[in-house]
Amino acid sequence: MAATLCGKLLPKQGWLPLIQSVRHGSKAVTRHRKPLHFLKQKLLAVTRYVPPKPVVPKGAYPAEKQQVQKDSDFVLILKRDLKKLFQECKMIAVVHNSNSTVEEMINLKYKLYKHGITVKFFPNQVMRSFLSDSVHSNMAPLIVGPTVLFVSKEPKAKEMLRTLRSSPQMTLLGACIDDTLLSAQGVVNYSKLPSVSVVQGELVSGLTMMTSHTASMLQRHPAHLSALLQQYVKQNSSEEAPKAEEAT
Amino acid sequence: MAAPTKAAVVLKAVKKIIVQFCPFESNVRSTREFLALVASEKARSTNLNCEVITTVKHDKSEPVVDVTFVDGERLLLKGAKLSRSEMLSAFQSYCAAKDPLGKAGAKK
Repeated sequence: MAATLCGKLLPKQGWLPLIQSVRHGSKAVTRHRKPLHFLKQKLLAVTRYVPPKPVVPKGAYPAEKQQVQKDSDFVLILKRDLKKLFQECKMIAVVHNSNSTVEEMINLKYKLYKHGITVKFFPNQVMRSFLSDSVHSNMAPLIVGPTVLFVSKEPKAKEMLRTLRSSPQMTLLGACIDDTLLSAQGVVNYSKLPSVSVVQGELVSGLTMMTSHTASMLQRHPAHLSALLQQYVKQNSSEEAPKAEEAT
Repeated sequence: MAAPTKAAVVLKAVKKIIVQFCPFESNVRSTREFLALVASEKARSTNLNCEVITTVKHDKSEPVVDVTFVDGERLLLKGAKLSRSEMLSAFQSYCAAKDPLGKAGAKK
């Protein structure tokens, strides 16, 4: 039986069979990863690249040169913008918005723009590196997570608070008003302060109260004034008399 | 810190979440990120009745997340020494424990 089979498969000694079935073989270009020929597999395994092991493990010694990462150009532009912002705007508020849809953002931006407040987004890393270089380094811990900047040239705290109250997901963290860092409570107190002109008026009136009183007294009828002065002298003398008695 | 797992934050069993922190402290990062996750639109859309209240303080107090569940139980997460993923996993395990039937029903 073996002889007859051998006879059919290998007609002549040492020659390949004349009939070769190619039904199960895949073509050269397949969509799946065609399994490599065994010989090729062996060759690749033998000739695989083995990188040389470093004598010293990677983290053992600190790096010789300090790797200073240069800021990319975009970062430089952003920093320039930030610098201009800090110079121009008197009020910069940091707000944490955990979530807000696009509509809510649009509404908020519109409401704030009516009062002259712009909403700005800056990447946290850029912001932090800029702040650590500048004077306002204490603002750096505020800038964590999703934060938005509200900047305006005039410090309009009351309007800002009112607008923020309408959107529940915006949380005011702190603000830098007139180069002073304020907390959320500080901003509320600041908004309750009367305006500068009112305070100045109060101060002026307090200072000139005495002088205005004197001026009004002098402008009255001279008889009235003389009567008042006589009364005053009498009172003084009556006060001095008992004081002198007590002393002696 | 690793990003949260694929399971989204489901707030079905939560009634109220009160988050309070002091932003000028340095240990607030994890609490703030937890807040950002929990108060996101996706999470809030799972339960519209759930309120998320944020309080900003300035008294150097520790950041605290106070969760009130629907059945009255309260979970207090002190975020000073916890990482965001730890807080999230603890919170989610509690939510899952409260609401396993609901989730199983939804999956089926």
